[in-house]
Amino acid sequence: MIPFSLLFTVSILAGFVGAMSGMGGGIVLIPALTLLGVNIKHAIAISILSVIATSSGSASAYVRDHITNLKVGMFLEMFTIVGALVGAGITLASSPRPLFIAFGCVLLGSWVALLAAGHMSWQGSPAQDAVSRWLELEGSYYDQVLGQTIRYTARRAHLGALLMFGAGIIAGLLGIGAGAVKVLIHDLVMGLPPKVSTTTSNLIIGVTALAGTSVYLAAGLINPGLAAPVILGVVFGAFLGTRLLVRLSNKSVRSFFLVVLLVLAVEMMVRGLRGV
Amino acid sequence: MDALLGYVLLGGVLLSMALVLAGLLWRWLNSGQPWLDYQIVGMNLFEFVESGFRTAALGEARPRLLINLGIAVLMLTPYLRVVASMVYFMTVSKNWKYALFTAVVLIVLTYSLFLR
Repeated sequence: MIPFSLLFTVSILAGFVGAMSGMGGGIVLIPALTLLGVNIKHAIAISILSVIATSSGSASAYVRDHITNLKVGMFLEMFTIVGALVGAGITLASSPRPLFIAFGCVLLGSWVALLAAGHMSWQGSPAQDAVSRWLELEGSYYDQVLGQTIRYTARRAHLGALLMFGAGIIAGLLGIGAGAVKVLIHDLVMGLPPKVSTTTSNLIIGVTALAGTSVYLAAGLINPGLAAPVILGVVFGAFLGTRLLVRLSNKSVRSFFLVVLLVLAVEMMVRGLRGV
Repeated sequence: MDALLGYVLLGGVLLSMALVLAGLLWRWLNSGQPWLDYQIVGMNLFEFVESGFRTAALGEARPRLLINLGIAVLMLTPYLRVVASMVYFMTVSKNWKYALFTAVVLIVLTYSLFLR
């Protein structure tokens, strides 16, 4: 049996890394748990439970700061939660090795995305399409850094919705928040300003994770004795991570994560291909 | 309104963490180690909570109950947030389009919480 302190420590680390990288705890937690000997489906179930905690925690701050766009969130949630149910269902039916490979692919994708992340500054809202206008997808928020109120509109809601369904599948399938994907959709597809993208994503992630968790709960894959130290650790680690994040330079954080992601990606892929 | 949603989220997480921590500490005090190993055998959230309360009513409260409650609270946190959003769209901003969207989310979530 895995020593409690080890489990707890690993979870704190996962939460910490997740919060600092903005990639979420699941990405690091699941490989770590499987290395400790936890069955991958159990790891996925526990991870998605912990995602509820971490995303709700961070979303709460942003919602109170009025940066999150509730309408965009609610609209897209309709699609992500169905995706999560589908994804979790697939995982239940799947055998372990494809899950490892899928996980490795997502990690690799995240690595590529992080590597390629130039900073496209937000260009302001181009013309909005009719669907998005009907959906009232617009808003404004006060940006403390810029010292002004930014107004924006969202667009291509139909495309965003479809892609969000896909993001939901990934989240439910792999027990992660898939925050990176969701932020990209908000940002690149729907044209929302970065802060609104990140914060609204966080809100959506919580609900999506709930949908996934219910499936795993019903399937009996949640071991509360195992989950308890993990979720406590992850939340605590994430708390520490967000505190520390402001003090570190972007560059050092980024380099560190590029390494971690690549190592984990290769490791998961290899295990999937060679047999766990 | 945003403030309320924020507090629901934060409160939910804090409460659930407190319950889980309390359960683990209780177990640790009882038996010298904070380890439990048990499975929730394929039940849905409502059965889960209900069985927990039944156990408590029988006076057999155990650390396990606290941990289960903590998990249940955690799962209900986003759910409650969606409920609050729907109430907001219905009563405060009277936005029926979004009340509908929120209702859709709520229905799907409720369905998933009743899965077994």
